[in-house]
Amino acid sequence: MDRKKLNENIVFILSLLLTLIFIVWGVFFTDNLAKVTDTIYNGSIDYLGWVYLGATLFFVIFSIYLLFSRYGDIRLGKKTDKPDFNTASWLAMLFGAGMGIGIVYWSVAEPVTHYTTPPYGKGYTIDAANTAMKYTFFHWGLDPWAIYTVIGLALAFFQYNKKLPAAISSAFHPVLGERIYGPIGKTIDILSIFATVFGIATSLGLGAMQVTAGMHAIFGVPNELFVQLIVIAVATVLFIISINTGLEKGIQFLSNAAMILSFAIMLLILIVGPTMTIIKVFFNTTGLYISDFIHMSLRLRPFGEGEWIASWTLFYWAWWIAWAPFVGMFIARVSKGRTVREFVIGVLIVPTLGTCLWMSIFGGSALEIVQNTGNHDLAKYITENVSLAIFTFFDYLPLSSVLSILGFAVVAIYYITVADTATFVLGMLSEGGTLNPSNKIKMTWGVIQSALAAVLLLAGGLNVLQTASIAAALPFALIMIVMCFSLLKGLKSEIGEKPREPRGRF
Amino acid sequence: MKLYQVRKGQFVYYNNELHRVYGVKPMYKQSVHIIRLRDLTQQLTKSASVEKVKPKELDSFIFNHKAYTLSRDRKAEVGDYVLIHNPMPDSLDTYSLNEIDLVETVDKQGVVTSNSHGIKHNEYLLMVPGRANGSTSIDYQNSEGVDAENLQDADSNDLHNQNNEHFPAIGDIYKNDEGYESMVVALKRGTVYLGGGLELSQEELRNSAKWEFLYNLLDK
Repeated sequence: MDRKKLNENIVFILSLLLTLIFIVWGVFFTDNLAKVTDTIYNGSIDYLGWVYLGATLFFVIFSIYLLFSRYGDIRLGKKTDKPDFNTASWLAMLFGAGMGIGIVYWSVAEPVTHYTTPPYGKGYTIDAANTAMKYTFFHWGLDPWAIYTVIGLALAFFQYNKKLPAAISSAFHPVLGERIYGPIGKTIDILSIFATVFGIATSLGLGAMQVTAGMHAIFGVPNELFVQLIVIAVATVLFIISINTGLEKGIQFLSNAAMILSFAIMLLILIVGPTMTIIKVFFNTTGLYISDFIHMSLRLRPFGEGEWIASWTLFYWAWWIAWAPFVGMFIARVSKGRTVREFVIGVLIVPTLGTCLWMSIFGGSALEIVQNTGNHDLAKYITENVSLAIFTFFDYLPLSSVLSILGFAVVAIYYITVADTATFVLGMLSEGGTLNPSNKIKMTWGVIQSALAAVLLLAGGLNVLQTASIAAALPFALIMIVMCFSLLKGLKSEIGEKPREPRGRF
Repeated sequence: MKLYQVRKGQFVYYNNELHRVYGVKPMYKQSVHIIRLRDLTQQLTKSASVEKVKPKELDSFIFNHKAYTLSRDRKAEVGDYVLIHNPMPDSLDTYSLNEIDLVETVDKQGVVTSNSHGIKHNEYLLMVPGRANGSTSIDYQNSEGVDAENLQDADSNDLHNQNNEHFPAIGDIYKNDEGYESMVVALKRGTVYLGGGLELSQEELRNSAKWEFLYNLLDK
C-alpha cells in the first residue's frame, strides 16, 4: 500500500486495529479481559461518574437553550429546502432510531429490577414502585435524547449548511479550522468509531440474548451462549448479503415494519393490560420525574456505595454516548430541511414523551401485576433472567402468544436493521465522511461488530458489555462537550454576528 | 395500467407527454401525482391514464426547458445533472427511482448531489446537455399531431434556466459579499430595483462573486 493510500485509509486502519486488538484480547485472554473491565468498572464508579453526570446534564440544558434561542429559525440546509419526510414519519423514525433493541429489552426488566432493588429505600413496596418508574423515565427520557440532539444537530448543521463531510470531525470546524483534515480531526473520528463499535456491539449482544430468549419462549430452543453465538452468525450472514445485493430497500421496509409492530404491541398492551393503572402511572411518574430531575441528574453517593448508580445511570449515559455517533448520523440524514427549533422539539421533546409512554405501558403493567395483584413470582423470574423478561411478562397477559411472536419479530427486525445501518455509518465515518462508503469497508465493519459482540458475550455477557461501553464512551463524552461550543460558534456565524438592540430609552 | 404497477419515480406518458411520477396515493380518486419534465408543471391523474416508459442510454428529453441526452460515456463531473435510473440506496439514503440531481462533489465510489445524496457510479446515467447524434427523443409517445413549436427544443430566447442561471424575479432575496440582504421589489427592462434604494443591472446582480441568490419569498 503506498503512502497516499495509507494516509487516505488511516482512520479505517487504526480504528480497525484498535478493535481487533480488543477482540484478540477477548478471545485468547478472556479472564484477563473480564478482570480488566472489572477494574475499569470499579474505577468508573469512583472517578468517572461525575464526568458522565455533569456532561449529560449539560447536554440537556444546552438543548433547551437552543430551543428558545435566536438560532431556532436557522434551517438545516438551504433556506429553500423542504423536509424529506412528513412530520409523522419523521417522528416515528426518530423514535425508532434512538432506542431500537434496548427499549424492548429493558422496558419490563428495568422497572421490575428497580422495584426489587431500588436505588434507595426498601424493595417490594409502593414507594419502590414509584421510584422504579421515576428512574426508568429518567434513564430513557430527556438525557439520552439531549445527547442525540446535540450530536445530530451538529452533524446536520455542518453537513448541510457548511457543506462539510459527514464525519464527526466536521463538527469541530469552527474550533479547528482546516485541522479537521489533519491528525486531530482523524483522532476524533477514530475515537468516534471506537465508541460506536462498542455501542453497537453492546446492542447486538443484548439483541442476541433476547432473540435467543424469544426462541426459547416460543419454540423451546435452549437459552444458551452457544445459541446466542449462532444468532449473531446468522444475522451477520443476512446483512452481509443485503449489503452486496442491493437489498437495502428491503432493510428500509423492515425498519418501517418494526416501527409499526412496536406501536401495535404498545396499543395492544394498553388495551388488554391494566389501562387505568398505565394512565395513572404515566401522569404520576411524569410529575415525579419533573420535580426530581435535578437531584437524579446529579446524584452520586459520596458517603456510601455507588454501585447502583454505576450499573444503571452511568451505564446508560455511557451507552447513549457510545450510540450517539450512530444515532446522530441517522437523525442528521432524515432531518434535512427542518429548522433548529423543529429539530429540537422533534428530537428532544416528542421522543421523550414517546419513550415515557412506552415505559408506562410496559413497566406500569408489569408493576401492576407484581405489586397490586401480589404476583411476586414474576419479579423473581424477571430479575433472574433479564433477557427473558418481556416474554415472561407476556405470559401474564391475555393474547400472550400473539404478543410474544410480535415481540420476537420486533427484536429480530431491529437486530438486522441496526446491524445493517451501523455498517453504513461506520463506513462513512472511516472514509472521512463520504456518503458513498465502499462495500468492502461496510462488510469489514459488519464482521467486526458481530465478532466484538460475540467476544463480549463470551467474556461474561451483560456485565462486560456494560463495562466495555462505559470505558469506550468516556473520551467521546469529552469530545461532545467541545462539540457544543463548536456548534454554537457555527450557529453564530450562520446568522452573522449583529450587535444586540440597545435596551431601554435614550 | 393498473394502480399496483405504478411506482414513485417511474417515467410515464400522460396526454402523450413525458412525466415523472412523484407520488402514488392509493386511497385518492386521483391517485397518481405526476410532474411534466418539460416545464415541471404538476398534474393529478389515474393509473389508467398513464403509460410507463423506461429511460435508457441515448434517450433524449427536455427537462426544465432544456434538452438532455442520457449517456454512460463518462463519469459525472461537478455541475452535471444525473438521472438515478438504477437506485440502490443505503439504509440511510432517501433518494428514489429516476430522481434528477445536480452533482456537487465527485469521489472514488460515486457522486454526492446537491440534495446530499450519495450515489454510486453505476446508479446513474449522465444527462449531457443537447441532443446527441443518434439519440432517440422520448418527449412524446406519439409525435404525430404535436405542434411543431412544441417539437422544437427550448428556444434560445427562453430566458429560463439557460445554463441553470437564475434570473431575478420580484420577491427574490439576494445577499452581497458584505452580508447585506435585500429583496427585488421591481424590474424594469434590464434594471433591477432592490429594497433599500439599490438599483442594479441584471448582469451586475448575476455576478455570483458579488451577489448570491438566497431564495424567493413565495417559496418559503
